[in-house]
Amino acid sequence: MNSLTERFATTGYAAELKRAKDVLGEEEDGLDPMWGSQAGFGNLASGVVKFNIPTVPDPSAFLRMHTDDFADPSCRIKIKHGTTTLAFRFQGGVIVAVDSRATAGSYVASGTVKKVIEINPYLLGTMAGGAADCQYWETYLGMQCRLHELRNRERISVAAASKYLSNLVYSYKGMGLSMGTMICGWDKTGPAVFYVDSDGTRLKGDLFSVGSGSTFAYGVLDQGYRWDLTDEEAQELGRRSIYAAGHRDAFSGNTINLFHVKEDGWKFIGNYDVSKMHYDGPDNTGGYAYELRVEGKSSANPPVTQ
Amino acid sequence: MDHFPTNWGRPRNDAHDAFNTYPLHQRPAPHTDTFAEGVQRTQQPIVTGTSVLAIKYKDGIMMTADTLASYGSLARFKSIQRLHAVGESTVIGASGDMSDFQYLQGLLDGLVTDEFTAGDGDALGPAEVHEYLARVLYARRSKMNPLWNSLLVGGVKDGESFLAYVDLLGTTYTASTLATGYGAYIALPLLRQAVEGREATLGADEARRILTESMRVLFYRDARSLNKFQIATVTAAGVDISEPIVLDTAWGFAEGIRGYGGQTQ
Amino acid sequence: MPDGSFAHPQERQFNPYSENGGTILAIAGADFTVVAGDTRQSEGYSIQTRYAPKVFKLTDRAVLAVNGFAADGNMFVKKVKQRLEWYRHAHAKDMPLRAIARLIQTMLYAQRFFPYYVYNILGGIEEDGSGAVYSFDPVGSYEREACRAAGAAQALVQPFLDNQIYFKNQQPPAGSSHPVHLPLPDVLSIVIDSFTGATERHIEVGDGLEIFVILAKGRSTQGFDGRSGVQELSTTPEGDRVFVIRRELKKD
Repeated sequence: MNSLTERFATTGYAAELKRAKDVLGEEEDGLDPMWGSQAGFGNLASGVVKFNIPTVPDPSAFLRMHTDDFADPSCRIKIKHGTTTLAFRFQGGVIVAVDSRATAGSYVASGTVKKVIEINPYLLGTMAGGAADCQYWETYLGMQCRLHELRNRERISVAAASKYLSNLVYSYKGMGLSMGTMICGWDKTGPAVFYVDSDGTRLKGDLFSVGSGSTFAYGVLDQGYRWDLTDEEAQELGRRSIYAAGHRDAFSGNTINLFHVKEDGWKFIGNYDVSKMHYDGPDNTGGYAYELRVEGKSSANPPVTQ
Repeated sequence: MDHFPTNWGRPRNDAHDAFNTYPLHQRPAPHTDTFAEGVQRTQQPIVTGTSVLAIKYKDGIMMTADTLASYGSLARFKSIQRLHAVGESTVIGASGDMSDFQYLQGLLDGLVTDEFTAGDGDALGPAEVHEYLARVLYARRSKMNPLWNSLLVGGVKDGESFLAYVDLLGTTYTASTLATGYGAYIALPLLRQAVEGREATLGADEARRILTESMRVLFYRDARSLNKFQIATVTAAGVDISEPIVLDTAWGFAEGIRGYGGQTQ
Repeated sequence: MPDGSFAHPQERQFNPYSENGGTILAIAGADFTVVAGDTRQSEGYSIQTRYAPKVFKLTDRAVLAVNGFAADGNMFVKKVKQRLEWYRHAHAKDMPLRAIARLIQTMLYAQRFFPYYVYNILGGIEEDGSGAVYSFDPVGSYEREACRAAGAAQALVQPFLDNQIYFKNQQPPAGSSHPVHLPLPDVLSIVIDSFTGATERHIEVGDGLEIFVILAKGRSTQGFDGRSGVQELSTTPEGDRVFVIRRELKKD
C-alpha cells in the first residue's frame, strides 16, 4: 500500500526523485543489479542490457556519421579496428593465429592488441572488425557458456556457443555492429571452427581467415594446408600466413599471437614479432623474407657485403 | 558488415554497397505522411539573445547582457531582460534561444520554491544552480532535444565567489572572466587583460567600467547587439540587477572608413 | 521539386558532440603509476579556460584520465564515481583496479549506439602491488599496457613514449639489456618533456599540467621528495597513496 501511494504521490521524497530523474534524463541508473560486484554484468544474467539509442530518425546513420572513419576521415570518434586473423582445423586440433595491430583511421592505435579472446579453457574467439564489439560480446558469451555448464553439467559444444553468438548479433542487425570472429574449440565431436559475423552469418568449416589481410593469409594457408599436418608444421603454417598478411597489408602487422587447441583445451604457443620473422625467423633459423631467399641468385640481388 | 578488403570491418553503409545485394531491391514507397516526418523538435534557435559577459571582482561577481531579443536579423524585442536572479546569491545570464531560457527560468523558480518550502535553513548557491543547469542541459542534448542556450552562472556563497559557463551541449567550465557568443571573440580578450590576476583587488567601480567599455566595443561590431544593457552584481549582500543603462554612441568616425559609413565606392 | 526530386522535409541535424582538445598520458612503473593531463579546455581556436581538470582520483589506488568531449567526459567520471561509491557501500572496500577497468568497459559499451566521445586512460596499482595502465577506445575495447597517450597530441607523444619507455628503435649497449621498468624520477622527466613538447607543437595543449602519482602500499615517496607543488590526496597513509604534482605550461 505504501509503495502504491508513494508511486503516485505528487509530493514527498519519491515524487521529487521521480521528477528529478525526468528532468535529468536518468532511466538506467539505480537499478538493483548495478549495486553489486558484478561490474554491471549483473543484469546480463537475466537478459541483455538496454542500450541507449539516440533519438533520431535513423540511429544507424547517426552512428555511421560519427564513427565511420572510412567514409569520413575527419570523423571524431574513431573506433579501433582489428585486422588479420585465421583459424584452421587439422588432425592435431585447431591452430588460431592473429596479428596484433589496431588502427583508428590511418593511425596505428596499438601494436599490442590481444585479438584472441579466451572465452574459457576450451573455447577461443578471434577479433576482427570493431574491437569493442568482439571483446564485449565474447566476454558475454563466456558468461553464457559457464551458465550452460552449470545448468547441464557438461561443457557447451562449439556449435552451440557459436550459434548463441550469431543469434545474439543477428538481433542487432542493421544497427552498426561490426565483428567477424571465429569460435574455435574442442568438444565431443573433436576440433571445431565456426565463423560468425555481425550480419548473422554462421559457417562451419575447416579453414577461415578474416580481416583486411585475410586475402594474403589465405594465399599462404591454402597452399600449405593438409589435414595430416604435424603439430609443428601446422603452427608454422599459421605463423607464416599471418606474417604474409602483416608484410603485405598496411592495416596488419606488429606481432603474431599463436594458439593451439587440443583435446585438453587451448595452449598459448607464443608471440612473434613480424619484423623478426622477416629477417631471422621464429628460431633464428632463417627469415621469411623474399630477399633472403633470392640473395646472390641473380645479378639484381648481389650478395650482401659486410 | 562490409567484407570488401579495403573497407574491411566497417559497418555496412546502407546507402551504398559495392556488391549490391543488400538492401534488397525495393520500389520507392510513396510518402504517406509528410507532416509527421517533418515534425522535428526545436533544433534551431528562433528568438535569440547575443553575448553575456561576466567577471569576478573584489566583492563578488558582475555580469552584463544587453536587452535585445533578435528574430534573425530583425531587432524584434528591445527591452527584454536576459539576466535572472536565482535565490539570494546567484544570477544567471542567457544567450541563445529566449523561449528555452524562459523554460529554464520557470524550472529554476520551481527549484527555489521547493528549496524554500523544505524550510531546512539551507539555500541553493551558485555552484548548485550551475550543477543543476549542467545536468538539465546535458540530459536534453542526450535526448537530441537541446535547450539552445549558452548560460553564465555567477554568485557568492559563504564568502566564495563562483563563476561558470554551461551550454546546450552540457559543456561546462569556470574562469575569472567569461563571455558567451560573439563576446567570446571580441570582449573576452579585453576582459582577460583587464581582470586576470587582479580579481582580489578590483573595485566595483572599475569592474563596472570594464564591463561598460566591453559592451560598447561589442555594440560597435556585433550586429545583433543593442546599446541598452543591464549589469547584475552579486556580493555577500545579495543580488542586484540594475535598471537598463543606455550608452551614448558616436558614429562620426564611420564617415572616413570605407565600407563602414556612407560611401559605397 | 522543380528538378523532379522528392520534396523532403528539410532537417538540420543537431550535432550533440564537440571536441575540447588537450592531451592525457599514463605510464606504469614496477610499483607506481603516473597519470597526467594538461588543463587547457578549448573549442576551435578559442581557449575556454586555462584550468579544467581532465585527471580524476577515483580511489586511493585508481586514477582516471578522460579526453575528448568535455561534457561527456565529466558526466562519465561522475557516473563511474557513483558506481564506485555504491560498490563501497555494498562491499566495505574499494573496487580493485582490474574490476574498475571492466566496469568502465561495460559502461562505455552501454552507449555503443550513442557513444561517449571520450578516450579513457585508467592508471593505478593492481592488487598484487604492480603499477598498471588500462587504455580504452570510446566504445569500451581495452587492454593493459605499460604506457599510453591519448587526445589531441596523441600522435606527437606516443612515438616519444614508444622510444623512451619501450625502447623502440634503440639498441642496448653491447652486453646489456633495456630495463623492464623505469624508476620514478625518469618517468616524471619523460612526462614533463612529453607535455612541454606537445605544448610547443600543438595549439590545443598547454596552460597547466597535473601529474598524478600512485604509489603501491609501503613504497616510499623517494623519487619526487624534492619537487615543488606536490600535494597528497590519499585518504590514509597506510595503503596505496595518491599524489598530485601541479606545474605550469606555456600559455600561448
